[in-house]
Amino acid sequence: MLKLSNLAVHYGRIKALKGIDMEVAAGEIVTLIGANGAGKTTTLRAISGLVRPAGGTVEFEGRTVTGLDAREIVKSGISHCPEGRQIFPRMTVAENLELGAYTRKDKHNLDAEYQRVFEYFPILAERRRQLAGTLSGGEQQMLAIGRALMAKPKLLLLDEPSLGLAPFLVEKIFEIIRAINRQGVTIMLIEQNAYQALGIAHRGYVLETGSVVLSGPAHELRHNDHVRKAYLGE
Amino acid sequence: MLQEFIQQIVNGLVLGSTYTLIALGLTMIYGILGIVNWAHGELYMLGAFAGLYLAVVLKLPFIVALLGAMIILAVCGMLLERLVFRPLRQAPELNMIIGTLGISIFLMNTAIVLFSPNPLSFPTEYSNEYLSFLGIAITMQRLLVFFITVVLIALLNYLIKYTELGKAMRACEQNPDAARLMGIDINRISLVTCAIGAALAAAAGVLVGPIFLVSPQMGLLAIAKVFAVVILGGMGNVEGAIWSAFILGLAESLTAGFFSSDYKDIITFFILIAVLIFRPQGLFGNNVIEKV
Repeated sequence: MLKLSNLAVHYGRIKALKGIDMEVAAGEIVTLIGANGAGKTTTLRAISGLVRPAGGTVEFEGRTVTGLDAREIVKSGISHCPEGRQIFPRMTVAENLELGAYTRKDKHNLDAEYQRVFEYFPILAERRRQLAGTLSGGEQQMLAIGRALMAKPKLLLLDEPSLGLAPFLVEKIFEIIRAINRQGVTIMLIEQNAYQALGIAHRGYVLETGSVVLSGPAHELRHNDHVRKAYLGE
Repeated sequence: MLQEFIQQIVNGLVLGSTYTLIALGLTMIYGILGIVNWAHGELYMLGAFAGLYLAVVLKLPFIVALLGAMIILAVCGMLLERLVFRPLRQAPELNMIIGTLGISIFLMNTAIVLFSPNPLSFPTEYSNEYLSFLGIAITMQRLLVFFITVVLIALLNYLIKYTELGKAMRACEQNPDAARLMGIDINRISLVTCAIGAALAAAAGVLVGPIFLVSPQMGLLAIAKVFAVVILGGMGNVEGAIWSAFILGLAESLTAGFFSSDYKDIITFFILIAVLIFRPQGLFGNNVIEKV
């Protein structure tokens, strides 16, 4: 479904991604693990068109989408739920969700999406008229995921969805990610919490200083010595 | 005493309306494009000249001239965005300031060459019509300024709050990166913002041109006050700009009426300095803390 070939991104003279190859098949959950600055977020930003790659290609459903405008990427079916939630703080929960569906042509037909989002996150239905900036951190994260789902994506990019959340909320968010995946949405997941991420992912990639150093089925990575030492703290 | 007071309130509302219309564009352009547009006063000045030309030379009805000037300046605003602001958007702040300051100087001097530096009077069909009540007479032109400003604020409020375009504009203002992820075309939003901002400045020029005089330097005089308004309202805050425009307009005219008109400019900047010391985020600064 998604194929990155030799993808490189530079920020000025810094080479954030040094030509990586990745593949995501339809229906999968693929996780990217790695330390801060390894290039995980940059990978997602390059896919969703927020940064222009210096080289290499991004293919989505057989079509080259490298360097396309973020708008075109969303329309093609990729939603990016960015790091740090990035909700619109001075807009209501309902307005935030509405903007998630900004590129949808069938705007009169959003009921199913609202229903689905409110099913995953009932608290958002209660708070729909509240300003998003007044929500708690966990609620903001739910809103960010819900907003990304409003575009009815085929591929959902999730960047650190559990960051800064209380442990019981982390559990819940992971459960919901699994549920979203079961409904047919392919997921690419960045997580600080490598243990949890490898627990729900089918496959994983390990990034170090801009390169893929390891990849494979999640259960294999979980038992890999390097991963266990460097990322699972064992 | 009461008559004097009402008279000054009316004057204050007229001034406040002018400041509002200019400040709205300035604050919106700052909020969405992140650019402090030093040339905004010149858009107000060009609007006044466009209205003067349409109404006095082409003899169009005042309201038609007003709408015409707004459309002409909307196009100018879009040109400004495309030719100056867009290339500057990624540039360091100093480049933006120099760029828009350059445009300001360029437009003002072009106007001096085209229209001569002498102030022109701008008579309209409302200049000599009076409305009398409580023993005071107010020209229809002054009432029109206030009335049309209220209508324009209401329209803008509707646009920003309820339309898809307005929501996209707010999204760009609050988080440009996230707005792009929603599929919002930031370039298009910037273009529309500049068109609206310039059209509102033009409306201010056409509305008060007939009360004061129309001259190439009028933008320079207005912009200092309008910067005070925008800072007072909180940079990028539309609602704050409206309130502080009227606060300053009323403070100025009441000072002029009851103390001396020598003090009317002092009061504006006195308020500004006090606010900068005690409430630097502006009187109406955003209090929602963004959680990270």
